[in-house]
Amino acid sequence: MFSQLLVNALIAASIYLVVAAGISLAYSVTRFFHFAHAAVIACGAYSVFVLHVWVGLPLSISALIAAPLGGAVGLALELLIYRPLRRKAAGPLVLLLASIGAYVVLQNVMSLAFGDASRSIRPTSVQEGLPFLGARITCVQLISIAVALALLIILLTAFVRTRWGKMARAVMSDPELASVSGINVDGVILWVSFVASMLAATGGILQSLDVDMTPTMGMTALLAGVVAAVVGGIGRLPGVVLGAIFLALAQHLSTWIISTQWQDAIAFAILLAFLIFRPEGFMGKKVRETTV
Amino acid sequence: MEYLLHILILIGIYVILASSLNLIAGYAGLLSIAHAAFFGVGAYVAVLMGLHWETPFLVNLAAAVVFCGILGGVVGAPGLRIRDDYFVIATFAFQVIAFSVLNNWVSLTGGPMGLPGIPQPVIFGWTVSSHWEFLVLTGGCCAAVLWICHKIVTSPFGRMLKAIREDEVFAQAAGKNVAACKVLVFAIGAAMAAVAGVMYAHYISFIDPTSFTVMESIFIISIVIIGGAGSMWGPVLGAVVLVALPEVLRFVGLPSAVAANVRQILYGGALVAMMMWRPQGLLGEYAFRKGEAQQ
Repeated sequence: MFSQLLVNALIAASIYLVVAAGISLAYSVTRFFHFAHAAVIACGAYSVFVLHVWVGLPLSISALIAAPLGGAVGLALELLIYRPLRRKAAGPLVLLLASIGAYVVLQNVMSLAFGDASRSIRPTSVQEGLPFLGARITCVQLISIAVALALLIILLTAFVRTRWGKMARAVMSDPELASVSGINVDGVILWVSFVASMLAATGGILQSLDVDMTPTMGMTALLAGVVAAVVGGIGRLPGVVLGAIFLALAQHLSTWIISTQWQDAIAFAILLAFLIFRPEGFMGKKVRETTV
Repeated sequence: MEYLLHILILIGIYVILASSLNLIAGYAGLLSIAHAAFFGVGAYVAVLMGLHWETPFLVNLAAAVVFCGILGGVVGAPGLRIRDDYFVIATFAFQVIAFSVLNNWVSLTGGPMGLPGIPQPVIFGWTVSSHWEFLVLTGGCCAAVLWICHKIVTSPFGRMLKAIREDEVFAQAAGKNVAACKVLVFAIGAAMAAVAGVMYAHYISFIDPTSFTVMESIFIISIVIIGGAGSMWGPVLGAVVLVALPEVLRFVGLPSAVAANVRQILYGGALVAMMMWRPQGLLGEYAFRKGEAQQ
């Protein structure tokens, strides 16, 4: 029983990790909460649904096409909404409100197109899980853990080793200074949005493989991602790993004491506690106070 | 005729919600997406008292207002330590927790089944039963809330709220008790939302948690922003526009399932458009541009 809970927590953590990495990346570059991420998460899942069930492509190829499609939605939002707003010197609250509006529109478009009932891309035959340390784990779940780990390693190396990673880190620490040093800040924001949205879409795909999809699925996933990102420390990828594991463990181990429907409440209680007492998270730097 | 009265009653309820949120978000600059939580908690407190203890309507109303006022103060308190977009996320967290409690504490709230059979309110022997009577009651409450809002925003306290919104550090430096102001305005706004919740519950005579979701909170903040944050009549105009206009969709002949989505697409789109071209809303004066004057 205990090992099964641990395995379930590990699977949840891998999905949170992918979503939270995207949120953390986007926030530390653009400096506002990209609420429409929730819609991008669902877009990823529904793209796979369309490609796999309607068009009839194999699941793996659909997923490989769907992730960049999700990234493209993020790009479109950046180009159509956020960049023009930033040109008008809009603050983080204006951008946040605009992205809430964008979420409402996208989510309802998906509701219109696919209905509010849940849709499935899971294979119809039920697979028996493989035995793993006294627990059972399905093939799909193993794949989602592997994908999450692979993405994390790619992201970390890209951040530390490549020129693009260096530019992104420069924009994160000080956009003005980066811009003065000849870095194209708009360009960096553009491709970070693409990568972050691709991560969000991947998170949505992984989640839909585990528990199906609804147009509002992104909201819960986004919330978990925000909690993991804040707990770990916004902008710190290693922190995000800790945050995702911490959140997943807290949610799954608590099912020993209280029933599962309280998981959302637990996630948010953790978030509130962190926001109030340690807003910089496990590994983040101190949040800067208002400068006058 | 009944249909028209129904729309007017709904507008009244949303004017209360939007005007009270306007105090918090428009005047004090504390952008909150937890207003549907207070709306819901107020409704549940009054209804549960009425159903279990059979206390009179006015006692229930008062209890709901006091309860939400205190709850609002507690929720507003984190705003002293965290600000701007982190505060939005914190209120969001509270909204999700509140929904989760209403939905999962089945023995008290009935969970997803909701609470049916809410009795008609009786006020000093006057039983409010017809649409007309409900309109009078809601209209009365609405007028009272607007009057209180007017009194608040024209008082020194109201000016202090605006000062906090424009420059918190400066307000503090001028010797104002910023912390007390923030908690107090949040408590007042939440208490007013409870009034709207009690009206709504007794008018519909059935409540379930789905009326008090995150989307509802987003709808209320959209009313405030599209109407115009930080102005007295902005939220009133916003409520009329956002509640009444989608009814037009009914006459176009859209099926109700599609109409619900189209309605949300319209106000989501309106929110984006407002941010792009008129961030202060139709009638407002505050455009959520905190801290930019300094840069």
